[in-house]
Amino acid sequence: MPGRQLIMTFPVTATSHTLADYRARGGYQTLGKALAMAPQDVTKEVSAAGLLGHGGAAFPVGRKWAVVKLDDGQPHYLCANADEGEPGTFKDRWILEHSPHLLIESMLITAHALQVRHAFVYIRGEFDLPYRRLAGAIEEAYDAGLLGKGILGRPFDCDINVIRGAGSYVCGEASGLLASVEGKRGYPRNRPPRLTVKGLYQRPTVVNNVETLSNVAGIIANGAEAFKKVGTPKCPGTQLVSISGHINRPGVYEVEYGYPLTKFLFEDCGGVTGGKKLKCIVPGGISTKVLTAAECEPLTYDKQSLEGAGSSIGSGGMIVIAEGTCMVRLLQVMLRFYHHESCGQCTPCREGMGWMHRIIDRIVAGEGRPEDIERLIEISKLNDGTTICGMGDAAGYATVGILAKYRDEFEYFIEHKRSRLDGNLEVPSVVPAEAGTQ
Amino acid sequence: MPEIFINGQAVQATAEETVLQAALRNGFFIPYFCWHKSLSIAGNCRICVVQQEGKDWVEIACNMPASEGLKVLTDSELVRAHRKATLQFITLNHPVDCGICDKAGECTLQDYHFEYNGERSISRDSKVRSTKFVPLGKRIVLDNERCILCSRCVRFTREISKSNALGIKERGDVSVVRAAEDASFDADPYSDNVIDICPVGALLSRSFLHKTRVWYLEPTPSVCPGCARGCTVEIWHRKPEWRLKALDPRQNTSIARVTPLENPAVNGPWICNKGRDLAQIFERPRALQPMRKGKPVELADAVEAAQALIADAKHPVALVSSWGSNEELAAFRKAIGGRFAAFVKPDHVAVPGEPIEDDLLIRADKNPNTAAAHALFGADAIRFDAGTDLVLVWGEGFEFGRLPRGAKVIFANSYLLPENGHADVFFPISIQTERAGHYTNFEGTVSAFEPCFAKAPAVIDAEALFATLAVEDKVHA
Amino acid sequence: MKHLIPEFDRWKARFPAGFESSLVMPCVRRIQEDRGYVADADIDGLVEYLGVPRIQIEEVLSFYTQFRRKPIGRWHIQCCRNVTCSMVSAERLIDHLAKKLGVAPGQTTADGRFTLSTAECLGSCGTAPVVMVNDAYHENMTIAKVDALLEELK
Repeated sequence: MPGRQLIMTFPVTATSHTLADYRARGGYQTLGKALAMAPQDVTKEVSAAGLLGHGGAAFPVGRKWAVVKLDDGQPHYLCANADEGEPGTFKDRWILEHSPHLLIESMLITAHALQVRHAFVYIRGEFDLPYRRLAGAIEEAYDAGLLGKGILGRPFDCDINVIRGAGSYVCGEASGLLASVEGKRGYPRNRPPRLTVKGLYQRPTVVNNVETLSNVAGIIANGAEAFKKVGTPKCPGTQLVSISGHINRPGVYEVEYGYPLTKFLFEDCGGVTGGKKLKCIVPGGISTKVLTAAECEPLTYDKQSLEGAGSSIGSGGMIVIAEGTCMVRLLQVMLRFYHHESCGQCTPCREGMGWMHRIIDRIVAGEGRPEDIERLIEISKLNDGTTICGMGDAAGYATVGILAKYRDEFEYFIEHKRSRLDGNLEVPSVVPAEAGTQ
Repeated sequence: MPEIFINGQAVQATAEETVLQAALRNGFFIPYFCWHKSLSIAGNCRICVVQQEGKDWVEIACNMPASEGLKVLTDSELVRAHRKATLQFITLNHPVDCGICDKAGECTLQDYHFEYNGERSISRDSKVRSTKFVPLGKRIVLDNERCILCSRCVRFTREISKSNALGIKERGDVSVVRAAEDASFDADPYSDNVIDICPVGALLSRSFLHKTRVWYLEPTPSVCPGCARGCTVEIWHRKPEWRLKALDPRQNTSIARVTPLENPAVNGPWICNKGRDLAQIFERPRALQPMRKGKPVELADAVEAAQALIADAKHPVALVSSWGSNEELAAFRKAIGGRFAAFVKPDHVAVPGEPIEDDLLIRADKNPNTAAAHALFGADAIRFDAGTDLVLVWGEGFEFGRLPRGAKVIFANSYLLPENGHADVFFPISIQTERAGHYTNFEGTVSAFEPCFAKAPAVIDAEALFATLAVEDKVHA
Repeated sequence: MKHLIPEFDRWKARFPAGFESSLVMPCVRRIQEDRGYVADADIDGLVEYLGVPRIQIEEVLSFYTQFRRKPIGRWHIQCCRNVTCSMVSAERLIDHLAKKLGVAPGQTTADGRFTLSTAECLGSCGTAPVVMVNDAYHENMTIAKVDALLEELK
C-alpha cells in the first residue's frame, strides 16, 4: 500500500459499484450531514482541507467554488469532468466502474454548496462500461430518492444528466467540455470571463475532475483536519495514480502524497519489466516533463517535490520507460497525438502541432536536419502561454522536457538517420503478475 | 472611467472597453485579424498581443479588460517577437498565391507581413494542402488554403445576418470553413459582406474574380438605390490614369464592384447583396437619343415640343420618380411642379424572390428617395381624373397601359425601353452615377452620392431638363 | 430518426428548459447507434426536432471522431497506438491486423465485416495494448488473442 487510502478503501468485487454495497460501506450518510450545513460552510470545509484539483492543473478547489456568488438569482451548474483523455491516465475510470455512488454523493454535496439544481457528468464517448455503471448508479439513486426532487426528504432538488463525448481530447479542457455539453464543437474559450462567472450557457459553472469531486464526501464526513493529516502539510490527501508502460504491475494505485517515488515504482508496482533498468518516467500524463531515473531517486510523490524537480503531478498518469526505449520515437507518438487532437482554433497550436509532427516524422524517416531540434524547442516556446487553452503548452512541455534530457538521441538520429537504440518503443516484458487493481 | 497606460501614455478607457478598443480609439495601432468591431470576440489569431509592463509574457488585447491602472506596451521587443512568430505560423501553410489572388493590394496579411515580419518562412516542410475554388453558393468562392480560420465569416452569419449558414468542419490544421448543406448561404441576402471582412483572399466575389487588380480602381462614394434604407456605398471603377486605350472601352467606364461605405447612422459596415449588384441596374442598355413618337430628334426640337404640350394641357398629370434626387425633385417642383397634379411613383417594386423587408437593412420600398418625394408631392395613390390630357412620366416602372386614352405623354427615362418610342416626346436622362446629389432615406437621413462617370453627350440631367421646360404658371403655385 | 423521438422526449424532460442544444450529442449518438451512421435525413429531422441551426449538427458530426456520416463494417476494430500501447507492442498488433484483414487502417474489408482504425489513448493504459471492438474494450491483447477474437466476430 503506497500510504493511506481515502478512496480505494474497499476490495473490488462484482458488486462494489451498486447502491447496496456503497451503503454497506457507509455511503450516503455524509449527504444528510452536508445538507444540514449552510452551503458556504461546506465550501469553507473543502477550502480548509486544502483540496487541490486532480485533473491536471492542481487548482485549489475551495478557491474555485468561492467565486460562485450564492443567492445571485441565476442558475449555477456543476459538471464532473470524466473525459479522462490524457494519455497514461485511467483512474477516473476506476471510480466510475467501482464506486460511481461516491461521485454521485460528492456531487450532491457540492451541488448543495454551490446552489446547483442541475449537475452534469461529461464522460468521454469511448468509456462504455464506465458509462453504463455510472448511468446505472444514477438510476439507482433516483429510485432511492437520492436524486430528483426532495432528496432525503429535504427541500433539496438536484438532477444529474450524463453527456457522452465522442472522441476529442480537448473536450477534457473545462471550457471545451462545456462547449460540448452545449452541443457544439469542443472549442475552448478565452478567459476572462472565468467559467465560475460565465460558464455553461453563460451561467456560473464549476467544472471539477471526477477524482477531485470524489474526495468531497470524505472531507465532509471526517472534517478538514482529518483530511490534512493524510499526505503532507503542503500537499494534503492522496492521488489515484494510473501507472503503465514498462512496469510489472500496472494499474490504479491510491498514493498518499509524500510517499517515496522510487519505493512506489520498485516495491508497490514491481519494478521495470524484463528486469531492465529504469530510463525515465512521465509522471503525470504525457503533458508533464519527463524525469530521468536519477532525478526520481530523491523524490517523494507530491506537488512540491515534483515541481522542485521541474515536473508536476499532472493527471497522475505515470508512464514507466525502460532503458533501451527510443525517446525520439516516443516523442513522435506524442506529437502525432497532439496534432490529431488540436481543435484548430488558435494560430500557434493549430499550425505549431502540425509543424512539430511533420518535423519529427521527418527525423524518424531519416530526413532530419540539424536545425530541427532548435525548431521544435522554438515552436514549443511559442505555444507557452500564448494559446486559448493549455494544449499548446502541454505539447510544448512534453517536447522541451524530452529534448532537455535526451537531446543526444535526437542529434544521433538526425546525423545517422536512424535511432541509436534500434528505434524500439517496446521492451520484452514478462506477463504482468497482478496489477495493483483491475 | 478606468485610466490605463499604453506605452507610458495615460489613456481614459470606458468601463466596458478592452485594451484593444481603448488603444485604437486613442490612436495606438495594434494589429488584429479575427477581431471586428461589429462581431463578438474570438481571440484566436493571437496577433493582437501586448505586454503588461514588468511582466515577461504577452496576452491578447482584444479580450483584455481595460482595468484601472493597467500598464501595457504595444511595441516592446517581446511583443514584436510574438507578432513575427504569429505571422510565421499563419504563413506556414498559407499559399504564396499573391500573384493570382484578388485580395492583393488590400490584404491584411500582406500588410502585416510587410510591417511586422518581412522575412521568408523558416520552415522547410511542405505546406498543408486544402481545397481551393470551393463555390459557397453562386456568389462567393472560397479558398481554404488561404483561409486563416479567423472565423469572422462564421460569426457574421451567426450574429449579423443570422442565417447560420457558415461553419468550420473537421479540426486542427485540416479545419475548413464550409457552408451549411441546405444552401442557406445562397439564400442569405447579406452573404457578400463576408468578402469585405475576410482579412485575406479566402472569400472572394465570383462576379469580381480575376477582373482587375484593385490598385487600378478608385472608389466613389454613392448611395444604393435598391431600397429606402439608402445604404452608403463605394462604387469602384478605373482610376483615370488607368483607363488604358488598350482595354475594351467598356472596362474603362464600368462598375468593377460595389462595397459598403461605413455609415454609423444608416447601415454600419454592411450592405445587402442587391447593393453589390448595382451594375445590374446601372449598366442596363441606356436611352441615348431624344425622340418624338420614336423618331430621333435634336434636343432643342424635343424641348420645344414638350413646352408646347405643357402650355396647351388643361389637365396635366405628373408621375414623379422616387429615384429622383433631392435636387431633381426640388427643381421639378420649382420649374413645372405647380402646373401638374403630381403623384409619386414607385419606379421599382420587389421582383419575385427578392427579400421584402427584414430586421437588418432591407426595406420593402425598393426606391431610394420616396421620403423626399412624398414630402414635396404627398403620398396619394396615382389617379387620372377624367379629362387628363397630358401625362409627364418621370422615371421607369409605370405600366403604360394604365395611361388614359388620348392623353399626350412626355417621358423622361434613362433606360432603353419599348415605351420610349411610344411617348410623344422622350428625353434620355442621366443616372445617379453620372451626377452629384442626395437621397433622403425612410428615416429622414440624407446621404450624398458623387459622379463616377461622364454621361453620354445626348443624355440630359433631369434637373436641367426641368428648368428648360419651365413655363409661366397660369395657376398660382 | 422520427421513431426515436419518444426516447428523445424523455431525455429532454430531464434537462432544464432551454437546453435543447445540449441534446445534439446524445441524439446524434443514439441515431448512429440505430442506423449505424447519421444520414442526411437524420440531420434534417434533428434540426426540426431540436430547433438548432443545421450547420451546428454538421460541424459536430465532423469534429468528433466517433461520429460518422457513412456506414462502416459490422465490426469496428479500433487499436490504440498512443504512448503506453505502443510501448507494449500495439504497433506490431496493428501491422498484424492490417495484414490479416488485408486493409490499411481507415479501410473496410471487402465483405463489409471489419473496419480497421487506429485510435488515440482510450484510457486503458494499465491493460495495454487495448483494442476496442464496437463499444467493448478488449484489454491485454496479444496477436494470439486478437486472432481468436476475429474468429468470434461473425
